[in-house]
Amino acid sequence: MPQPDNNINFDDLFRYNYRPLCLYALHYLQDVDLSEDIVQESYAALWEKLQEGTHVLNRKSYLYMMVRNRCLDHLRKKGIPTESLKPYDTYGIIDDDDAQERSQTEAKLWTAIDSLPEKCREVFIMSKRDGLKYEEIAEELNLSVNTVRNQISKALKVLKEGVHKLYTFFFA
Amino acid sequence: MSDFEDKHLDFVLKHYQEGKFDTQKALQRFNEAHGIVRKLRRRVLPWVSGVAAAAAAVILCVFLFRDNGQQIQLMADAQVQEFVLPDGTEVTLAPGSKLTYSETSPRNTALEGKAYFEVARDEAVPFEITSDGAFVRVLGTKFMVDAGSSVKEVYVTEGKVLFAKSSDAEGVILTKDMQATLSPDANVPVVSMEADVNSIAWQRGSFIFDKTPLREVLETLSEHYKVSFAATDLDKQLSGEFYAEDLDLIISLIESALDVHIVKR
Repeated sequence: MPQPDNNINFDDLFRYNYRPLCLYALHYLQDVDLSEDIVQESYAALWEKLQEGTHVLNRKSYLYMMVRNRCLDHLRKKGIPTESLKPYDTYGIIDDDDAQERSQTEAKLWTAIDSLPEKCREVFIMSKRDGLKYEEIAEELNLSVNTVRNQISKALKVLKEGVHKLYTFFFA
Repeated sequence: MSDFEDKHLDFVLKHYQEGKFDTQKALQRFNEAHGIVRKLRRRVLPWVSGVAAAAAAVILCVFLFRDNGQQIQLMADAQVQEFVLPDGTEVTLAPGSKLTYSETSPRNTALEGKAYFEVARDEAVPFEITSDGAFVRVLGTKFMVDAGSSVKEVYVTEGKVLFAKSSDAEGVILTKDMQATLSPDANVPVVSMEADVNSIAWQRGSFIFDKTPLREVLETLSEHYKVSFAATDLDKQLSGEFYAEDLDLIISLIESALDVHIVKR
């Protein structure tokens, strides 16, 4: 899906890339609020550059680069060695393009979770994030174990389909 | 789901918090911090129509009569278009809408169709919008006027607005999140009890639903896209923000989220 990067306006550049950039930062920082702050700062820095009349060849890549540098700065200040810090996945170090793509996939998943019906999301999160057993969730929410099971399989189905649908939906 | 995606899902789930990484909120925060940002996306390209100069003898009432300055016409054809007026007021025009003002009194405008305004503050000069059978005087900042159909509608997102049938008719004053409509046979606009946040979906570029029954969701979409729908389980509730670009994608997303079936008619 080609993105005529430099032809889109700043608001759209923000809309299309905000969530993926947050997830990109999250891999370094493991902190949701801090990631949002750093992505904001990076957009602000790009904005100022553009205001000064600086030509930025690829604004999206530039944003990723700024977010990464700011994350590394932050970690360095906290005394965490960053020399060898690259975007990781469990199979090893991945390159920048893959890291961008991964962030976009994760942003889609985040969006898909947001779009789940409230009850369904609650059950799903309790199970998959908090690691509660079906029985524990059922008791906590006053549901039958069967309902819990159904809600979770429904959530998985939506996420599985949603990830593909959201792709064009969100970034096209 | 493949292992690859499972791995992504695990990461997302580990950190997922409802209401975080909210693009719309973040953009608002950004725009507030950089007041000028919004201007960047505005295309200030008014085209000047031929000399539509009204040779009226103007003495005092610059906002009742056009003077002989040049008429500026702002138009939106197939897409939503954004403009900045000479006084700094930002206008978003819905497709097919037209805003006219005279070069010498840019705060006295005439509207055909639907527009969203963020009016620049100037207490000395009121900002006014006249359309066939509706009159709006701005006492504050952000609001929408829909003068496109026979029922005129004004929705205020911020500030204070006077809405009347004409400049000398009795009107209503609307403030934040208030909405009023004026039917062709009425003389005074009627204030709606509950303003619909989605009346400015076309301007914001997204629909926002908060535990909204599917019935109302479809009404909103139907109004926006001029399509009617049939669906099962109309009482199921939907929450979330949906970008207003592609109707089919919105529909399929709602279908899988609520486990319902929706058909366009």
